[in-house]
Amino acid sequence: MSNPKLPGNLMPLPEALRALPQVAPERSAWAQIAAELEAGNTQGAKITARPMHRVRTGARRRVRWMLPASLAAGLVLAFAAMAMLQHNGRHAPAIATVAQPAASSNANVANSANTLNVTNVANRDTPLEPGKGAQLHALQQHSQALEHWLRETSRSAAPLPGQDLAAATEIEDMIGLIDVQLGSSDRDGDLPLWRRRVALLEDLTALRYSRYSLAETGADAKSLTPTTWTN
Amino acid sequence: MSESFSHLEMPDSVIARAQAGELAAFEQIYRRFERPVYTLALRMLGEPEAARDVLHDAMLKVFQRIGQYRNDAPFWAWLRQVATNETLMRLRREHPTESGDEADEVSDPGAPPWVRADALALERALGQLPAMTRSVLWMYHVEGYSHPEIAEFVGKTISFSKSQVARGTARLRDLLVPATESVSCRIQSSLAI
Repeated sequence: MSNPKLPGNLMPLPEALRALPQVAPERSAWAQIAAELEAGNTQGAKITARPMHRVRTGARRRVRWMLPASLAAGLVLAFAAMAMLQHNGRHAPAIATVAQPAASSNANVANSANTLNVTNVANRDTPLEPGKGAQLHALQQHSQALEHWLRETSRSAAPLPGQDLAAATEIEDMIGLIDVQLGSSDRDGDLPLWRRRVALLEDLTALRYSRYSLAETGADAKSLTPTTWTN
Repeated sequence: MSESFSHLEMPDSVIARAQAGELAAFEQIYRRFERPVYTLALRMLGEPEAARDVLHDAMLKVFQRIGQYRNDAPFWAWLRQVATNETLMRLRREHPTESGDEADEVSDPGAPPWVRADALALERALGQLPAMTRSVLWMYHVEGYSHPEIAEFVGKTISFSKSQVARGTARLRDLLVPATESVSCRIQSSLAI
């Protein structure tokens, strides 16, 4: 793969790296992408069955829109979740601020990627400690409420500017990664992972809310806003 | 050349057609960015199959969200950011223990060394670096991300980014010794770490 234009010339390392030739994959990925695009639509993301190693995308979709409950019920659950968390004191989730969703997201992904030994709560076969169980339940409820709000507002939200869109995409990735970890790990790390998941959802909610407020349905945005943020 | 990623603009009309759901427009975008995205992932990960997965996932993700894209920022910048994130996500998943140590900062080596532009030797040397070091080095020298930006990307400190670049540079210099002349280059102070 030598660059014929540069036959052994001395140059600074950065320039030499940039001079490396571009590479194409042996097999184009287009056919697979086209099939998946045709199977769904470009916004609804109805994606066809995928190889097992692509479970992350499925998890991401599940994260985004898996909870079809009413918004009112969701907000009630959110209130209940926060009340329980406050009652349980020291293990209150780390709530991200709404001011810096993008900035906090990268730290979140690193932390979540380093948090491994956790369990799939759906498969647990022994009871949790009482306090832990309540916290876990509260976090799950809060998570559901936030997801529901995101779903309800997504259709009428204004388009995101490039930077926000990149941040939103990244946050969704991180949530997907946490879901993979939740689905495949031991039980001890449950709470940290769920706290991280909730924090990320709050970041995403903050990001979406700013755009939703600017959309035509701005008057309704206030009434739909999750009221459990810690600003 | 890898730097051409940033020179690949897409006409607004193509973006608009893709936003309308036209498959041919998606393909046009894919064809235009296939190599830059794949190359970025391959250089950082060093594994062709993993790089292809990143290409697939990044492209699909951008296509699924293209309706939300506003052309207030270059399209390539958004796609590159998504691709970089996808690559780093995979790196963290597949090399979870390779995080490096933040405190072990390497002293500033000054300007980067000069090397012979033998692409094959350079690719081989790159392949011998730890994946995280290689990725940080690539993001810094080729993609042009700053140390604070890289620190954000990888969830580490700015010192970590600097030390990875310094280590990677020193290691590459060692690996390329037979083909590299020890030229003390002090003329590009803007490239100094």
